[in-house]
Amino acid sequence: MWDRTSGGLALTFHLAGINNQNFLMRDDQTGSYWQQITGAAVSGPLAGRRLTLVSSDELSFGLWSAEEPGGTVLEGVAKYASRYAKKDWEKEIAKEPTVLSFADPARNLEARTLLLGIHANGASRAYPYDEVVKEKLVLDRLGSEAVLLVLGPDGQSVRAFRDRIPALVDANGAAVANGGDAAPAFYRTFDDAQAHPTDAAWLKQSASAPVMMDEATTSAWNFQGCAVTGKLAGTCLEPVEVLKDFWFDWRNYNPTTTVYARPSEASPAAAPPGQTSHP
Amino acid sequence: MAGWSGGAVATARDFGRARGEHQVDMEQERQKTSPYSALLVAAFSIALFFLAYPLYVIRPFRRQGPRELALALQVIQLRPLVEILCVAAAIVALLLYWPRQERGRRRMLAAAGTLLTCAFAALARVNVYELMFHPDSNPVFVSVRRAKVDADDKVLAVKIGASARAYPIRSIAYHHIINDTVGGEPIVTTY
Repeated sequence: MWDRTSGGLALTFHLAGINNQNFLMRDDQTGSYWQQITGAAVSGPLAGRRLTLVSSDELSFGLWSAEEPGGTVLEGVAKYASRYAKKDWEKEIAKEPTVLSFADPARNLEARTLLLGIHANGASRAYPYDEVVKEKLVLDRLGSEAVLLVLGPDGQSVRAFRDRIPALVDANGAAVANGGDAAPAFYRTFDDAQAHPTDAAWLKQSASAPVMMDEATTSAWNFQGCAVTGKLAGTCLEPVEVLKDFWFDWRNYNPTTTVYARPSEASPAAAPPGQTSHP
Repeated sequence: MAGWSGGAVATARDFGRARGEHQVDMEQERQKTSPYSALLVAAFSIALFFLAYPLYVIRPFRRQGPRELALALQVIQLRPLVEILCVAAAIVALLLYWPRQERGRRRMLAAAGTLLTCAFAALARVNVYELMFHPDSNPVFVSVRRAKVDADDKVLAVKIGASARAYPIRSIAYHHIINDTVGGEPIVTTY
């Protein structure tokens, strides 16, 4: 999702081509061509410019509508409804061929392995979606940046945050030993076995319920990244943009990316727990 | 033979002279028309290249190399002007060729070439990608209560200021692009 202004000019985009299965778009105002995934103009009068990323989430509708009951939803166009993706579209698209691959059987990476991509501190890392859903809470370090990925109460939405709380204090109110911004450890508290992700009433009740707790202060945090009880109640973690993408596409535009592996699976000689050091 | 001296019998020399005169006529005709036929062929060929090359390079399920993509995009940028010039050149060539060419079949061929050149220019203005995936040019938004989306369907969600908006992935996976304004900010949602 992009801010579609450039140089003060609001641009209107059209689908205009494809580049190794990532589409190109053209703006009406200048005829420049832009790459969808990077927001960079690759041809035309605005070549070299970049659009500004707008923070967005990929969520289940049930969870989003519970968070934002006053929100608005794009209505489908009736005459094209028959062309829209079917309910099982994700299974179908997983079978479609790709022109690029980068398959890596040793790391269980196929071309269409679904990943959650994060950029931090100039580095990029891909988190296998299925792995994150299985772990429900991933604590990781991307360079000097501590991040956490957490599964929502709907069992399918994922958000990422900077695992950093300014001026963290311990349970007694004293500053933690390492001072400044502290990266507390979190653990998941939500009972996924009791989830009813398609029940609107349950989602309304659970959308803002705590899903994790921090070890330092035992404050309870919800899926929006805000502490709802405890010493840090009212504090919110800084969101980190996550791109849900297929491995071939992520790898094509992030050639030096690393790939997350569970600490027990990571090579002890390669990197600290939770990291793989090779692209 | 008496009565036959009017030259009614053609001799070999007569045929040879006629063939020579015919060849001279053809050569003169070729000299009169060849610059214009060459111009028409050039206009036709260039218009066809500028239409076909980007379509060939930038198509789904084909790997695009960086240099050929850059060239295809450059061709697209130059195409509007080039197609206009090709159409103009083809029309001028036809207008100059026609009176100088006595053979009807060749005139028709030239006319067909000019028409095709015009057709290439018109087709170059067609966005084939939006023929495959029609845009939602005037997106309509409804309240959560009126939205016909299942709870487990996925949406791309954004919040700017107090304005929250969701784009069901099952529909934007078809339209690919939604130009929108949320919370007063112009944004584009892509999928």
